[in-house]
Amino acid sequence: MIQIQNVRQNYRAGETVVQALRGVSCEIPAGAFTFIVGPSGSGKSSLLYLLGALDEPASGEIVVGGRSLSQLTPGERDAFRRDDVGFIFQNFNLLNNLNAVDNVLVPYLPGGVSAQRREEAVRLLSRVGLGDRLDHRPNQLSGGEQQRVAIARALLKRPLLVLADEPTGELDSESGAEIYRHLRALCREQQSTIVIVTHDRSFIDDGDMVLTIRDGRISSE
Amino acid sequence: MTPLLQFAFRNLLTRPLRSLLSLIGLTVAIMAMVGLFSVANGLDRMIHDTFERIPGMIAVQPGAPIPLFSRLPSAWGAEIAEVPGVGVVNAEVWARAQIIEGKQVFSPPRFLFGTDIPSRIKLKHGVYRDALEEGRFLQPSDSGTLNTVISRRIADEFGKKVGDTLRVDGQPLTIVGIYYCDSLFLDVTIILDIDTVRRMSRTGADTVSAFYVELAEGATSEEVIAGVQERFRDRKLNAVDPASLLNMAMGGPAVSDSGAQGGAVAEWIASLLTPNQNPPGNPSIPENPSSEAAENTSEAGESVEELPLEIRSVEDWTSDFEKFSADLDIFLIIMTGIGVTIAVVSILNTMLMSVTERSIEFGILKANGWSRRDILLLIGLESGMLGLTGGICGAAIGWVATLIINFYWAERVYLYAGPGLLMSSVAFSTLLGIAGGVYPAFLAARMTPMEAIRRG
Repeated sequence: MIQIQNVRQNYRAGETVVQALRGVSCEIPAGAFTFIVGPSGSGKSSLLYLLGALDEPASGEIVVGGRSLSQLTPGERDAFRRDDVGFIFQNFNLLNNLNAVDNVLVPYLPGGVSAQRREEAVRLLSRVGLGDRLDHRPNQLSGGEQQRVAIARALLKRPLLVLADEPTGELDSESGAEIYRHLRALCREQQSTIVIVTHDRSFIDDGDMVLTIRDGRISSE
Repeated sequence: MTPLLQFAFRNLLTRPLRSLLSLIGLTVAIMAMVGLFSVANGLDRMIHDTFERIPGMIAVQPGAPIPLFSRLPSAWGAEIAEVPGVGVVNAEVWARAQIIEGKQVFSPPRFLFGTDIPSRIKLKHGVYRDALEEGRFLQPSDSGTLNTVISRRIADEFGKKVGDTLRVDGQPLTIVGIYYCDSLFLDVTIILDIDTVRRMSRTGADTVSAFYVELAEGATSEEVIAGVQERFRDRKLNAVDPASLLNMAMGGPAVSDSGAQGGAVAEWIASLLTPNQNPPGNPSIPENPSSEAAENTSEAGESVEELPLEIRSVEDWTSDFEKFSADLDIFLIIMTGIGVTIAVVSILNTMLMSVTERSIEFGILKANGWSRRDILLLIGLESGMLGLTGGICGAAIGWVATLIINFYWAERVYLYAGPGLLMSSVAFSTLLGIAGGVYPAFLAARMTPMEAIRRG
């Protein structure tokens, strides 16, 4: 269960302070496949980053799995991101120096990678259809393939929460559909809660939770 | 190799030109460091190696940095021999050779070493005699003759062998033996009978440069030094005037098996070691080298040393050179510091540019749970690897350069880059590399993930 209580977030753009979120409150049940939709600049991505502890809110509270993110120490926040949250970015954000397997294993590079974990990474890449592209670097992969590597990276840790920011934004509709197919299958399998920010409502199925944000506020659930 | 180390390595390879330039900067600095310190190390090693071969003590004029610059009355030799603990006293006269085989001798310098042959033969350890490679050493029958023993280097330089004649300062010397000590300080000597060198250098019969003192069985150097000081307490002798040193070094009349002299390096060291004891214009060495040396007392009372004779053990010589060496090290540290500063700035710039460019990457890493410590570690590894590689390259090139220089200029310099210097250079370079990466690493580590991604 994710609880979002009166969260506000501001950004400074030069001299101007932009209010990205103006008191957002809602709850997302555990295991829900959730979309956050809304126009550009409405605050969708800001909310997503706060959910993943990538940023800190100006005020308000976010509770994930019973833990208040604002109460976490920096080390606990790092551990939260490493163990409990998987991120999928619009532009994939893979590391060009690393091949597909190592990109999936990125969260574990500092602490060392066990053989078991490496096997799991290979298994996940195979699940998303990249079994024959394990040693390829990002620049040797298509956009859809890169995003599938990003999905494998996000799900390797079997996270509580998967956060995706416009995951099909740079893909054609066929690749986009494939990405959603993999996401839905894997998240169901791992019982992760998924929150996706998107402009594209075509991938929203019946039963998915949809939060619409407009001008920094949730306008409908 | 751990995955993190591999990742750091790949990051460096991603920007090959920048990494290479940074590496070159560091390599050059470390190479210079190895080169400069190999000068001091070479000197240290040469000095220790030389003194290890000379177990006795040397009596010189107070203030004379080496026997070449010393004048003592010949008669004092017999008195020194009477001091308890003294075994053999060997009188020595030293002078610089000016012209050899019609060629003006500048560098490396060559020295005429006149030794009292009968007492020399009595020495248990004779550094030149022990290093004889060919022919024979001087014998009593060589007294007053032009028979000489020369170093292998001098023989090779002038294409001479045993039995040949070597013209030195107009005198046709007959080579009876060739020695080789493999030392820049020792392989510079033309050994002759003491009276022959006196004649060639216009040194009075009652003057010597120094006395080489070999201890009697069981005697200690402290005991002999105390005995000699006691014996000569009431004598008067001028201390050495630094201005006169140059004259003697350039071949003026001078007056030791001390072997502590030789080589341009030795002269340079001598000038640095010379204590400034006499005021300018107060000549301490009589113009006409004669018995004056024995009787002369200074008119300027304050310039007269309390002890007229300075007797030094090997430890004293070594200590003097170590003091000089420490001063040289300070100079070298300053010189190296300039290069090192440039190298650190270069690494700092490389890492700073790299961190700025890779802002998104750090954001991604943080989004994936990398902690501040992990980011610091990654950048530290990258800059440390640059430092380590630069250190290894610099140390290796510096080491090879010292070998090449030693090979091609064996007569003039001796550089020594030992394992200690090479390893400390590599360690130092690695630390420099890490130090250069610290600030950029903190910059990267302190950003929140989104801040880093937005900056990119």
